Amino acid sequence: MSEGVTDSGSIPEKVATMATEKGLRGRLAKDRMATRVVSASGFMVIFFILAIFFVIAAEVFPLFQSPEVSLNKVIDIKAKGTVLAFATEEYKTIAYTVTSQGIFFQSLKGGNTWPPVALPDLDGARITSASTPQNHMVVLGLSDGRSLGVQIKFDISFNEKNERSVHPGADILDFVQLSESGRPIELIHHHVGDAGYMVTAVTGPNEVAVVQVKRKKNMMGVVRTKTQSHQFTLPNKGAITALAMDHELSAVYAGTESGQVIRLALPTDEIDSSAEIIGATPGKAVKITVLKFLKGGMTLILGDAEGRVISSQIMKGDDQRYHLSLVHGFESHAGAVRAIGPSHRDKGFVTTGDDGMVRYHFGTSGQTEYELDTGWKENIADLVMAPKGDGILALDGKGRLGHWTVSNPHPGITLRSLFGKVRYEGYENSEYSWQSTGGTDEFEPKFSLTPLIFGTLKGTLYAMLFAAPLALFAAFYSSQFMHDSLVHLVKPTVEFMAALPSVVLGFFAALWLAPRVEELLPSLLMMPLVIGLLVVVVQYIAEHTDLRFYFKEKPATEFYFLLILVLIGTGLALGLGIWFESVLLQGDFRVWLLDAAGLGYDQRNSLVVGMAMGFAVIPIIFTIAEDSLSSVPKLLSAGSLALGATRWQTAVRVVLPTASPGIFSALMIGFGRAVGETMIVLMATGNTPIMDLSAFSGFRALSANIAVELPEAPEGGTLFRILFLAALLLFLFTFVVNSIAEWVRLKLREKYRVL
Amino acid sequence: MEPAKPMKGEIRSFLSQKEGNEGKLSDTDHTGNSSEQGTSNRVMVNIDHVNFYYGEKQVLIDVCMEIPEGMITAYIGPSGCGKSTLLRCLNRMNDLVDGARLEGKVEIAGEDIYDTRLEVSDLRKRVGLVFQKSNPFPKSIYENIAYGPRIHGVNRKDELDAIVEKSLKSAALWDEVKDRLPESALGMSGGQQQRLCIARAIAVEPEVLLMDEPCSALDPVATAKIEDLMVGLKEHYTIVLVTHNMQQAARVSDHTGFLLLGKLVEFEPTKALFTNPRQQETEDYITGRFG
Repeated sequence: MSEGVTDSGSIPEKVATMATEKGLRGRLAKDRMATRVVSASGFMVIFFILAIFFVIAAEVFPLFQSPEVSLNKVIDIKAKGTVLAFATEEYKTIAYTVTSQGIFFQSLKGGNTWPPVALPDLDGARITSASTPQNHMVVLGLSDGRSLGVQIKFDISFNEKNERSVHPGADILDFVQLSESGRPIELIHHHVGDAGYMVTAVTGPNEVAVVQVKRKKNMMGVVRTKTQSHQFTLPNKGAITALAMDHELSAVYAGTESGQVIRLALPTDEIDSSAEIIGATPGKAVKITVLKFLKGGMTLILGDAEGRVISSQIMKGDDQRYHLSLVHGFESHAGAVRAIGPSHRDKGFVTTGDDGMVRYHFGTSGQTEYELDTGWKENIADLVMAPKGDGILALDGKGRLGHWTVSNPHPGITLRSLFGKVRYEGYENSEYSWQSTGGTDEFEPKFSLTPLIFGTLKGTLYAMLFAAPLALFAAFYSSQFMHDSLVHLVKPTVEFMAALPSVVLGFFAALWLAPRVEELLPSLLMMPLVIGLLVVVVQYIAEHTDLRFYFKEKPATEFYFLLILVLIGTGLALGLGIWFESVLLQGDFRVWLLDAAGLGYDQRNSLVVGMAMGFAVIPIIFTIAEDSLSSVPKLLSAGSLALGATRWQTAVRVVLPTASPGIFSALMIGFGRAVGETMIVLMATGNTPIMDLSAFSGFRALSANIAVELPEAPEGGTLFRILFLAALLLFLFTFVVNSIAEWVRLKLREKYRVL
Repeated sequence: MEPAKPMKGEIRSFLSQKEGNEGKLSDTDHTGNSSEQGTSNRVMVNIDHVNFYYGEKQVLIDVCMEIPEGMITAYIGPSGCGKSTLLRCLNRMNDLVDGARLEGKVEIAGEDIYDTRLEVSDLRKRVGLVFQKSNPFPKSIYENIAYGPRIHGVNRKDELDAIVEKSLKSAALWDEVKDRLPESALGMSGGQQQRLCIARAIAVEPEVLLMDEPCSALDPVATAKIEDLMVGLKEHYTIVLVTHNMQQAARVSDHTGFLLLGKLVEFEPTKALFTNPRQQETEDYITGRFG
C-alpha cells in the first residue's frame, strides 16, 4: 500500500519535471537559434558593406598600377638602304620602313613577305629624306628638290575560316616641286588635313618651302590636285634642324642649331606670311634635334642635343604675338634626343636618344611613366608607338626592329593629376579642371576631382546653412515650447516631408523654384530679417502689455499668432524686396550684382540647391533632434524649473546640453544625406564643375558627376575607373564623417550621461 | 463625511502683517497642547478651500491648511491620496501637467500664488522643491549648485564661490566634496546626490522648501543624514515634507497632515496626531490597519 502511494505520488512529479525540461529545452533551442540568426545577419551586413568597399576599391586599383613593358621580339628587317622612317599598322602585324631605297613591308608576326612599294620613275633622283608617316601617308624627299607623296594602304580580308589577313599596298600621290633650285631635300615634314596635305622642307641655309596640296575628288572619282607654294626666309642662327607643323595647317615650326624655335605663319586672307622667333630651349642655346606635336597639335615637344625633353605650348599673347611657353621638363636622355613618337590615342609620347633608352612620358601630367633600354646606344634610329598605345617599335641603323609590348591602360593618371593643379593645353596657368570628354578626338581629358569634391562640399554647405538652423530651431521649439496638441500635428507632417522623393524635389527646384528665386531674390534674402524683426517687435509689445497673459492662459494660441506674423512678414518682405530692387539695385539685382560685386547669376545656383536639398535634409535633422530633445528626462527640466528657471533658461541650459549628442548625430546624419544626395544636385545645378564659392553660381557634385558621366564611360576605361574613384571618395567621405560623428557623440554622451 | 477643516477659522490670518507679528503666532496651536517647537509660528502657507483636478479627475477635495513658518510640516497618507499633488500646488509644478486645474486659493507669505500676474519662475525661486528621485544636472558639482544663482543673475565668480560653499555646508556635503567640485555630479552616491539637490535648492535662498519623499530611494544611513539635515534647516526655512514613512514624519516633523482620497483628514502637531488621533481613519492608518 505504501509502495503504491509512493508510486502514484512520484509518477506525476516525474512527468511534470520532464514536461518542464522539455519546455525548457525548446525555449533554450529557440534562444540559441535566434542568437545565431541575429549574429549571422549582423555579420552579413558587415560583410556586404566590406565587400562593396573592396569591389569599388578593386575597380579603382588599376588606375594606379605601374605600366608593364616586355620585349616581344627583335626582327631583322629585310630592307635595303639607310632607314629614314618607319611605322606600323593598327594591329601591329605589319611594319613598313622607308629607306633610301624605297618602302618595304615587314611582317611582325613572321611568315609573310610582301614586295616593296612600286615607286614611279624618279627621273634619276634618289630618296634623300622621308617625313614621319601620318595616317599611313609618307612624303619622300628627293635629291632633285621634289617630293613624292605615297599613301600606304592595308586591305583587310577574311577567309572562309573567318581568319583575318592584311595585305599591304600603296597609292602613289603627287610629285611636288619644293626647291626651285633643285637642291636635295634633307629635312622634310608633312601633315594631312581635311582637304589635303601640306609639305614643308628645308630648301636652303635659311630657307623653308611650304606647299599646300589640296586634293578634290569630283563626282566621277577623278582626283584634281591644286598646289600652292610659299617660300620663307628665316631669321635663324645656325642650320635648321627640325620641322613640325600645326594640325590646322596654318603654321610651320622650325627648330635650329642654336636652339631657336621659329614660327612660319602661312598667309591667309587677313594676315601675310611671316617668320619670327617665338622661343628657345631653356637656359642656353642647345641644338634642337626633334620637334613633334602631340596628338591634337596643341603641345609641341622639343628634344635637344643634350637629351632634354621639354613640352611647350604656343600661346598668343595680349600683343597678338606668339610665344613659346615651356610647360614640363621630362626625364632627360644621356645623349642627344634622336626621335620622338607621339601616341595616336592620347597625350603620351615616347622618346629615345643616343643613350639607347626609350622613355614614355605623358604630356598632361609631366610624368615619365616608364623606360626601357634597347642596348643599341647611338645606333638607334627611330621609334614609334603602336597605334593602339600597346606597343613600342624601335629601329636601329643596322636594320634591327625591336618590338616591345606595353600594358599601360591608364596613362597620365597620378594622384597629382587627379587632385592637384595641372596646366592643360591652351591654359595659361595650372588649374583644377574636370572635363572628361570633348567634341574631338584631339581633346585632352581633364580629370581633376578637386572641383567635384569642392562642389559636393559647397552643395552640402549651402544645404546645411539652409536646413540646420530651420530644422534645429523647429525641433527646439516643438520639443520645448509648442503645445502638445500641435506637436502631434507638426511632427508627423515634417516627417512626411522625408517621404518626398528627391527626384520630385529636384524637378520642383529646377523648374519651379529656380525661376521664382531669380525673380524674387532680394525679397527672399530679406525674408528672414523682416520676419525675425517683426517677431521681436511684436514680442516686445506683448511683453509690455496685457497680451502676455492672454498667451499664458491659452498656450496653443501663440503658434497661430506666430503663423500669422510669419505670413505678414513674408508679404512685407516681398513688397520691400521689390521696392528695394527697383530703387536701389537699378531695377534688376542681377545687373547690380555683376556691376557691384562682379558676380554672375546662374538661374540654377547653389542657393536653389541649398533650399531644395535643405527640404530633403530638414525632416531627418528635425526628427532626430526633436527625439533627443524630448527624450531628455522630465525630471531634469523639472529640477531646473523648480529652481525658478524660466522655460527658455531650462531649455538652453539644461535640455540642450543634455540632448547635444543627439543633436550632433542629427546634424551629422543630415550632413551625410546631403553629401550623398544626387538627384537634387543633378537637376537643380548647372552641373558646371567650377570652383567658386558664390551662392549664385552652380557646381558639380561627385554624386551628380557619377550619374552624368556614367553613359560616357565604357567599362574598364579610364573614365570608368575614375568614376569608381569618385564613388570610393564618397564612400570614404561618409565613412570618415560618420566615424568622427560617432566618436564625438559618444564623448558627448559620456559627458551628459543621465543616470 | 464632512471634509476635514481642522484649522480653518481657528487661526487668524497674519498675512497682511508680515513683519513684526511673530509673537502672536504662538497661539495657533488650536489643540491646546503646548507647542513643543515653541519658536516662530507665523503662517507661511495658507491653503484655502483648494480643489484640484487632473482633467476630469478630482484629486484634492476642499483642502484647507495653514503651514507655520520655520517648522517642518509632513504630509502622510496612502499612495494616491494626493499628498504629492498638494505639495506641488505650492510651487505650481502642477502647471506642467496638461489639464491640471486648481480651484480655491493658495497664499504664500500673503500673496496669492495663482494670480495670473505672478511670475511662476519668481514663485519657484521662493518655494524650492526637492524631488523623490535625485536629479542632479549632468554638470559638475560646482555648476549644479551655481546653476540656480546664475539663472537669477548672479555671475560674479567670488559670489558664486561663496554661495556654493555656503549651500554645500548647509547641506552637510562640503567636507565630502570640497576637493572635487569640478567633477561630474553623476559620480556621487545616491545619498550625496540627494543632499546635492537639497544644497542646489537652498542655493537660491527660498522661503519654503518642499520635499517630495526625499529619502524613498535611499538606504537608512543616507536617510538619517537627510533627516538630520532637515531638522537643521528648519531654522532658516519652512519645510513641507511628503513621506511614506510614518516613523520619519514622527521623527522630524512638527506638524503632520494625514490625507486620504484627496481629503485632509487631520492636521495636528505631530506628537498629538501620532499619540492621540482624533479621526478613526487616522488611527487606522497609523496603527497599520490599512495603507
